[in-house]
Amino acid sequence: MICTDCGNRQAVVTYTEFADGKATAWNLCEECAARRGVSASLSSLSGPLVNILMGLLEEAGREGAAEPGPTCDGCGLSLAEFRKRGRLGCPACYAAFHDELASLVRRIHGSTEHAGRVPGSLESLEGPRREVLRLRAELERAVKREEYERAASLRDLIRQKEESLRAGRERS
Amino acid sequence: MTWSFDAMMREPAAWLDGSGARSDVILSTRVRLARNIEGERFPGRAGRADLERVRDRALEAALRSNYLRNALVVRVEDADEPQRQILVERHLASPELACGGPGGAVVVGEREIVSVMVNEEDHIRLQCIRSGLQPLDAWRLAGKIESELDRNLHYAFLSDWGYLTACPTNVGTGMRVSVLAHFIALVRSGRVSQVLGSVSKLGLSVRGFYGEGSAAQGAFFQISNRTTLGQTEDDIAYTVERVAGQLSNLESEARAQLAASDRRLADEAWRAYGVLRSARLLTAGEVMELASSLRLGVAEGLIDTVPLSTVNRLLVVTQPGHLRYVRGDASAEERNALRADIVRRELSSAH
Repeated sequence: MICTDCGNRQAVVTYTEFADGKATAWNLCEECAARRGVSASLSSLSGPLVNILMGLLEEAGREGAAEPGPTCDGCGLSLAEFRKRGRLGCPACYAAFHDELASLVRRIHGSTEHAGRVPGSLESLEGPRREVLRLRAELERAVKREEYERAASLRDLIRQKEESLRAGRERS
Repeated sequence: MTWSFDAMMREPAAWLDGSGARSDVILSTRVRLARNIEGERFPGRAGRADLERVRDRALEAALRSNYLRNALVVRVEDADEPQRQILVERHLASPELACGGPGGAVVVGEREIVSVMVNEEDHIRLQCIRSGLQPLDAWRLAGKIESELDRNLHYAFLSDWGYLTACPTNVGTGMRVSVLAHFIALVRSGRVSQVLGSVSKLGLSVRGFYGEGSAAQGAFFQISNRTTLGQTEDDIAYTVERVAGQLSNLESEARAQLAASDRRLADEAWRAYGVLRSARLLTAGEVMELASSLRLGVAEGLIDTVPLSTVNRLLVVTQPGHLRYVRGDASAEERNALRADIVRRELSSAH
C-alpha cells in the first residue's frame, strides 16, 4: 500500500478524518502521518495478521481457482467471496467451509483445537473432553522430562477417561 | 452515577494513571475478547435490520450486567464528530466503527476500564484496559464481564474451534492482549530492531504505536499475541506478561547504560520539559516526541515535579478530537495554540 499523501513511500497507518458528516480514509507513510499530526492511536490492531491471512487465501484461491466451491446455507456467502474478502459471513460459514478453514486455521494458529473458555451452557458437556486434553498435555510433559512411571499412569488414566467419554456418547 | 462524555473529559481514563507493574516502561495493557451471537450474520454481511437487532440484544445484555449497568451508551449514528473522534483517540472505538454505519454502538464503563464495541467486525468486542503491565488482571476482569453477558446472549461457539469470529485470525479464544510500551532507550541505542525482531519468534507481534514502521514515533510500541487458538486465555496472558516483562528489563538496562555514559539523555528530558511548559504553539507530532523525552526523565527520576500520570494524559488530551470537543471551529493555528495552552495547564497543575 502506497501513501495516499505523497504517493511515494510505503503507507504504515490508515487515518480516518471526520468532516462535514463524512469520513475520509487515508493511507499514510510515517513522514506524512507525522506532518499531518495524525493521532497515533488511530492505527488499528489488525494490520499485519490480516496481511498474512490474505496472502494465504490468495495462494489457496490460485490452487483451487477452477472449482466454484461450496456456498454457506446461512448467509449465501461463497467460498470464492470469502477468499477475496478474508471475512466470513455468519457462524454457519465455519461448517460450510470446514475443510478450507481447517487448513487455513492450522497455518495461522498452529492448532485447530480450542483450549480456552467455554460458554456457561456447555461447561458440563465440555468438561470431560477438556480434562482429557489437559491430561494429554501433561503426558507429553512427563515424557519430555523422562518421568516414565508418571507417564504410564497418565496414559492409563487417559484411556479410562476416553472410554467413559465414548460410553457416554453411545448412551446419549 | 451514570458515566457520560463530560465525566470522561473531566476524569482521565484509569489506564493513564501511571500505576501497575513496570509503569516506568509500560503505559497500558489491553485485553480484547471477540464474540458473536449464534444465528446472526456477522456485521460485514448484515443488513440494517439485522444490525439493529444485534445492537439491541447486545446493549440489553451489557446493561443487565453488574459491571456495566451505569455505563455510557453511545449509538455511533447519533454521536457528533468530536465525540466519535474522542472514542477513537481513547481506544474505545476503532476508526471503522466510528464512521457511524448502522447499528454501531459503544458501551463505556466507569473510568474507561471496561468497554464494549457493538457491530464492529464482530458483534461484540469487549475490552479491558489497565495501567502498566497487567495482562492477567485485565483478562480476569474482561472474562468476568464476558460471563455476565453470556447469561443473556447465546454466543456462536464450536467445541473444536472455540468462539467463532468474522475473521479466522481471531477464532478460538477471540482474545488479543496488547501492551503499549515506551522503548526509548532501546531506540536511542540502536538495539530496538534486534530486540523486537526476536519477539516475533515467540509468537507475538510488535508494531509501532503508529503502525508497522520500525521508527515508531515517540518510541512507543505495541506488543500483542499473534494467535488466538490452541492456548488457554491464562497462557496467552502469561506469555505476553513474561515477554513484555523481559523487554522492559532490557529497556531498563539500556536506560541505565545511557544515563551513565551520556549527559544528553537528561538534557533531552529537561529540554522537552522546558518546551512543553513554555511553547505557545504545538503540533500533535511535537507533543508526541516531547512527551516521549519527558516521560523518560520522569520515569527515571531525573524530573520529580511531574507525575507519570500527567505525561500519559498529555498523549491523549492533546489529540485532534479532544481539541474539537473543547473548541469545535478552531483553525489549524488556533488548534496548535489551544494544544499548547492545554499542555501548559496540565503541567502547571501537576505539582
